[in-house]
Amino acid sequence: MIINGVSIDKTFAEAFPMKGTRIIITAQNLEWAMHSATAFTGFATSVIACGCEASIERTLEPSETPDGRPGVACLIFAMGGKGLAKQVETRAGQCVLTSPTSALFSGIEGEDGKEIALGKNLRFFGDGYQISKMIDGKRYWRIPVMDGEFLTQENTGVVSSVGGGNFLILAESQPQALAACEAAVKAMKQLPNIIMPFPGGVVRSGSKVGSKYKALNASTNDAFCPTLKGQTKSECSPEVESVMEIVIDGLSKEDIDKAMRVGIQAACDLGAENGIRRISAGNYGGKLGPFHFHLQEIMA
Amino acid sequence: MKALTLKLKTDLAQRVDCSPLTPDKLAGKDVADIAAIELVSGRLTLPVEELFDISGDDVNDIRFENSSAKLDHIGHAMSQGRITIEGDAGAYLGQFMTGGNIEITGNTFIYTGCEMKGGQIKINGNAGDFVGAARSGYKNGMTGGIIIVTGNTGARTGDHMRRGMILIEGNAGEYCGSRMISGTIAVLGDVGKHLGYAMKRGTILLPKMPQHGITANFNDCGSHTLAFLPLMFASFKKLDSKFANVEGFSRVQRYAGDVGGIGMGEILVKI
Repeated sequence: MIINGVSIDKTFAEAFPMKGTRIIITAQNLEWAMHSATAFTGFATSVIACGCEASIERTLEPSETPDGRPGVACLIFAMGGKGLAKQVETRAGQCVLTSPTSALFSGIEGEDGKEIALGKNLRFFGDGYQISKMIDGKRYWRIPVMDGEFLTQENTGVVSSVGGGNFLILAESQPQALAACEAAVKAMKQLPNIIMPFPGGVVRSGSKVGSKYKALNASTNDAFCPTLKGQTKSECSPEVESVMEIVIDGLSKEDIDKAMRVGIQAACDLGAENGIRRISAGNYGGKLGPFHFHLQEIMA
Repeated sequence: MKALTLKLKTDLAQRVDCSPLTPDKLAGKDVADIAAIELVSGRLTLPVEELFDISGDDVNDIRFENSSAKLDHIGHAMSQGRITIEGDAGAYLGQFMTGGNIEITGNTFIYTGCEMKGGQIKINGNAGDFVGAARSGYKNGMTGGIIIVTGNTGARTGDHMRRGMILIEGNAGEYCGSRMISGTIAVLGDVGKHLGYAMKRGTILLPKMPQHGITANFNDCGSHTLAFLPLMFASFKKLDSKFANVEGFSRVQRYAGDVGGIGMGEILVKI
């Protein structure tokens, strides 16, 4: 399959099941909501070392938030419900509770009503002065803090999600690969229910499963490292000088399907004339996860 | 199916316990069964058919017509369905109810919504003393649900109230929120003396300073913008009440008390 001179590999991306939730951070203005959301989603690129994968989904107009203030929706994913609960709680406590004028809400209903704590345990910071309020069947906590009151919903919903959807962009130069990634990420950010958790949505250090070092479960994806073309069984043709990856986490397989289609299309729109040669994917022979995203089927 | 209608035949000499006449307890019964149910009235037990003209058959939608302030325990422990009362109701309307809706066109006597756990009671009139309160000698009043009173309430509104919401469009009597443990009482009109007496926790929300002021047992915590108030006002929008049209506010003067006790309750007055 060739789109605008860009070859689409007959391969598939592998992804794995995760647990996810959406939280909404509001503040006096968008700037301060964003400060809090940026901190909340910091150091959350990969579950390998961060414990979770998180990013800002989108900004919210005052009409879209529970308290009528500007807000930011964040998605956060972990390998299981317990891990997710721990990450949400510690991040909310250190990054939202601490942030001036912030308030914290759940942005999603749980699958079969399943929930994890959001502000449930943060209330103890109130040292007995915290106040509970049941509004519309949902419990909120008012925690006295130095700038006034921190308002947080008690719980947030948990849903089965998909992590690790991905595609690779192979280009003739590093700037061209990055330009294609930027175009893809920009297009994908318009979609709901997905995040690209790496810096700017792009990964330059894609990995393969396993390593020559016993202590490591993953190591550099040498087949896609252009500088190793002469040293390894390379996937890079002679004209390919740079490969970058976009990793996508989403609330469902369908969300990732759609995001990959939009992202690959945006990269292909730049075309061969801008040095974009191939689109491939992180295929680990079925070892990584049960969700398979076949590139050619997605782009058909 | 038409609503099961129970039209009171005559003026009552004695009070009548109507607790058997709820959607839960009438489920599966036909009109003949219902007519034969014995109700306690004073020292006697009387069959329903002797007190009421019965029509309709939908036990999930019960109507009391020509109702009297001597009909006690209407909606006792109901968990679902609807009860509509045309006229007045006696004591303990909706006591122990966990769900469903009760609406009354007239006034209610004491202990409306006593120890209720859920559901909604709307009184299109006045309510007596101890709305949403605990029975004498008991420690927990209502623990959930909403009581809306379009008129006034008597004394001790929300006495020992633990959760839930009491919304009063008119005035509240003396000792409103007394011994309150948690929950919310909002009053659009005035409130009587001794507001929040022995209040432990919970919120009393007022759009204006009461005529009798705030007692010395509440300390002024200053003026604040509280983030939960817009959420609360938004939740009122779906109610069939003046509260749905109240212009929301988040700027309030906060008074904490009763400092004669643990002092964790609050009276919020719009500024």
